[in-house]
Amino acid sequence: MNFIFTEEHIQFKDAIKAFLKDECTPASIRSGWAEKKSFNQNRWKGLEELGVLSSNLSEEYGGLGMDQVALALMVEEMGYVGLPEPVAEQTFLINDLLDLLPAEMQKKIQEHHMSGASYISVSHPLAPNPLFLNESAGLLLFEEDSYQFVARHDLEFEEVASNDPSRELAKIKSINHSISSTENFEILNSAVSSRGALMTAAFLVGLSQKMIDLSSAYALDRTQFGKPIGSFQAVKHMLADVAVAIEFARPAVYRAAYSLADNNPKSALHCAHAKYMSSRAAELACKNSIQVHGAMGYTWEMDLHIFMRKAWSLMACWGNEDKQQDIIFNTLKSSKDELGVLYTF
Amino acid sequence: MKINFTSEQDAFRLEIRSWLEQNVPSKTLASLDTKEGFEQHREWEKKLNSGNWSMVTWPKEYGGRGLDLIEWLIFEEEYYRAEAPLRVNQNGVFLLGPTLMEFGTHEQKSKFLNAMATGDHIWAQGWSEPGAGSDMAAIRTTAVLTDGFYTINGQKTWSSRAAYADWTFGLFRTDLDSERHRGLSFILVPLDLPGITVRPIAQLDGEPGFAEIYFDDVKVPVENLLGGDGEGWKIAMATAGFERGLMLRSPARFQQTAAKLLQLYLDNERDCSPVMQAKIVEAWAQSESYALSIYHTASKMLAGGSIGSESSLGKIFWSELDHMMHQTALKILGASAELSQDSKHDAAAWIKGFMFSYAGPIYAGTNEIQKNIIAERLLGLPK
Repeated sequence: MNFIFTEEHIQFKDAIKAFLKDECTPASIRSGWAEKKSFNQNRWKGLEELGVLSSNLSEEYGGLGMDQVALALMVEEMGYVGLPEPVAEQTFLINDLLDLLPAEMQKKIQEHHMSGASYISVSHPLAPNPLFLNESAGLLLFEEDSYQFVARHDLEFEEVASNDPSRELAKIKSINHSISSTENFEILNSAVSSRGALMTAAFLVGLSQKMIDLSSAYALDRTQFGKPIGSFQAVKHMLADVAVAIEFARPAVYRAAYSLADNNPKSALHCAHAKYMSSRAAELACKNSIQVHGAMGYTWEMDLHIFMRKAWSLMACWGNEDKQQDIIFNTLKSSKDELGVLYTF
Repeated sequence: MKINFTSEQDAFRLEIRSWLEQNVPSKTLASLDTKEGFEQHREWEKKLNSGNWSMVTWPKEYGGRGLDLIEWLIFEEEYYRAEAPLRVNQNGVFLLGPTLMEFGTHEQKSKFLNAMATGDHIWAQGWSEPGAGSDMAAIRTTAVLTDGFYTINGQKTWSSRAAYADWTFGLFRTDLDSERHRGLSFILVPLDLPGITVRPIAQLDGEPGFAEIYFDDVKVPVENLLGGDGEGWKIAMATAGFERGLMLRSPARFQQTAAKLLQLYLDNERDCSPVMQAKIVEAWAQSESYALSIYHTASKMLAGGSIGSESSLGKIFWSELDHMMHQTALKILGASAELSQDSKHDAAAWIKGFMFSYAGPIYAGTNEIQKNIIAERLLGLPK
């Protein structure tokens, strides 16, 4: 039992954190909004050069062979800066699942993956509007009982506006040609659902941390009645509640990531747990952060909403709190004989 | 990272499990807050000690097993799984014990540690006073040193276990001109000295779990001072850290409650509103998160890290969780939730636990005080 990160995990995370700190600022996100082009090719290239986009591919495909724990740490850092580019989707939903796809589809995806465009978008009943389809080389589309890969030029779609301007979404209108399959559908569907939940959970933890940091800084800076509002207990306690919620969401995310890496048969439950805890933390972080900011929190000018908007989107897709609750409840009910103190590990 | 137990840890688990299976009394002991139950629990402490299981985290040089934090968590899991009796000497073994090891003299360690381990000395806490609750630095009970003896005058209250305990430890004002945190000293006091009057206070469940202690010219030898004269606050903070920290609130207790709650729900599912499913999931998810967090923290500490104000986060989380779970149980019980002798649903145990769960957000520093600590020390907000 050693629930801490390896040196490799930490170095990977720190490298990404250092890159994002300079490259993904609120100003750069806002300029993406203004140009209606939130997918920043320079930043994407920079992340590619860092090895991030292929970090979890095996070394034979030019990847770094990173596990899901490293990915979760990475995505948390991306959440902290509100990164618009779909790195979490690319690594968790495409790279991580390649091996499960039929050989023909794998080959096709890899052709696109290795070519310049590289990004493959995903649509799934839990997140039906694919992200940045304009920037993608193709789409992996999950339906009720089958899935298909569609190259971008075989797709017709229209743009759909998101409440988070950093998320450029699309709606599929027609598909001219695709490779379709039902092979391994159950396994694949469960794998992609779990990863979608975990990926959004890790992102939400990062976003929540950002929101509480912004709010603490604001509460220190803003004075009323002659003192910083952060000296009032009503304000302190709101932020302390958020700190508690984040503290107990975080290890659930790390454990779920480890379960995937460890092929734990309960990984679906663990991913649901991670999303459940982090959605609740993020919801409280949004609510209390805007309250601490007062009327300023309700303005477009304040950066807080960059992170709140993304949190609202990510809480909703890949299974919201209620959906995760159902997964957890059904699992508990069917494995009640194992419950108790020996069930966790 | 490796979130599984090693074969040594599994073997240790089986060792404690087998001892508990053979030794945990088959009949539930009387409440430790009754005279009879207190002595039964003292006997249980002796029994634990006979198997060398009473102070497993103490270093071997003090007669413990020197268990690391992970082994301690395993021990606790098995302890709760076996539904073994509550630890009547928790104040001693988990709070004063580690404090003595850190600050005590050689003589103090040899006098108190062994007697604590054997259950011969059961300890009560002596922090709060009528005018010093959340604001502990407002302590006014005085201890004046003359000719090798402290003369103590004043009153302590909410002293856990004091109704039947043998000793108490607490903070006393030794510098009469001092204010607030300065001039306080940490003194160990036998409760059978002349001038001491203990008045038990009935708790919400009717039993005297705590008491008032009156001191009227009580003479305590200077050897009973722990640490330096005037250093009491620093030492008390270390003790409070042990209380809020890992040692007392192992996750097993809450995981066990969550599992029982699920069973209670399933037994009564037909009578429950579907809304209760949300509460069952919340109970499981939060107790699971608490366990993960504690294992994460324990692993970090084993790797050389330390825990500070973070323990305040945990204290809020487990105490609110414990209350929520018991509240949910009573809702599931419906009209049976007032039956204190209902054996079918174990309603009596849930009611008792429910009442006790109101204490969690209050003791060891109220949750509001913890929130101040979090805001000021972790988030950097001003006092």
